[in-house]
Amino acid sequence: MTGVNVLVVFYSRYGKTEKEALAAGVGAIQARANIRLRRLADLASLETIQADPAWRENLERMKKDYIAPREVDAHWADLVILAAPAHRLEEMERYLDSAHQDLQGKLAAVFGPIGDQATGAGLTLVTRAEEDAVGYGRRAAAEARARKAI
Amino acid sequence: MGFRALRVLNDDRVAPGRGFGAHGHRDMEIFTYVLEGGLAHDDSTGEHHVLRPNEIQAMSAGTGVIHSEFNASTTDAVHLLQVWILPSKEDVPPAYKQFAYDPSEKHNRLRLLVGPDRNPPEPAAFIHQDARAYASVLDRGKTIEQPITPGRHSWVHCAQGNIVLNGHAMKEGDGAAVSNERALQIAGDGAKGGEFLLIDLA
Repeated sequence: MTGVNVLVVFYSRYGKTEKEALAAGVGAIQARANIRLRRLADLASLETIQADPAWRENLERMKKDYIAPREVDAHWADLVILAAPAHRLEEMERYLDSAHQDLQGKLAAVFGPIGDQATGAGLTLVTRAEEDAVGYGRRAAAEARARKAI
Repeated sequence: MGFRALRVLNDDRVAPGRGFGAHGHRDMEIFTYVLEGGLAHDDSTGEHHVLRPNEIQAMSAGTGVIHSEFNASTTDAVHLLQVWILPSKEDVPPAYKQFAYDPSEKHNRLRLLVGPDRNPPEPAAFIHQDARAYASVLDRGKTIEQPITPGRHSWVHCAQGNIVLNGHAMKEGDGAAVSNERALQIAGDGAKGGEFLLIDLA
């Protein structure tokens, strides 16, 4: 069986998008993919975060659970699942810009309106998210496996 | 490592506040035994627990689970054993069980922790494999004897202190694979005796 590596990159402040990203990750595992979960660092200032208790608390937890995506993660991945809130795309755009070279030719599955940025960054879009994130992650990983096997 | 269905036995000490970030598992029976401290656990099914000594947590990863494990304390280290056993059946629904028992239940006797029996002789976590894990704390000079059904195998891990297994001295962190024996004789040794896990395998 061909091993498929799925990198889940997300940006979340209060945990909602994190849940979606985790669900997509579980779906990828269901499709027998290897996964890595990475959270994008905040661009906001420390003062802004400190002033928002819910954000601050979630961030403390998420900083333990996830590191930010590294160059080696992009190289490792066959498929990149991208998740960010529709109204908060700056962190994701910054990542796609900075990881442009590493992501060239990789497959991508995206949540929300980040498809244009993803294709602009050299990623090949497999699918966009539907409501069921688990099923979405599963289908995207299976699609990546099928393409890798060809 | 791999011995029969036993895939991994990790003997870990985790510093205060440190741990293992979010990661996935599939088709693996995993149980955790804490010797000292507390281990906080979160997972994608919404479970949150802190596991302490004299408790057992078993997870069937099945179709897929993402979880994280951290030392629950900011001041004290946690010492834990984590055992991975290959399941006899793939694609089972993910499941968690955690329960506590009285420390007297493993004092100078074997306390069943996990096994494949739906109605075990004492409360134990169900796993999808023909394997049973027991814990025991033996005083110095105390011996227990466990017969081995022909064709079955055992793994013994000395978790703390000292024990003697069928004449072989074992200290903390030592493991022994046992095949072609009819029985295990395990004795508490050293100054304070010893604590061990015994895993019975097909």
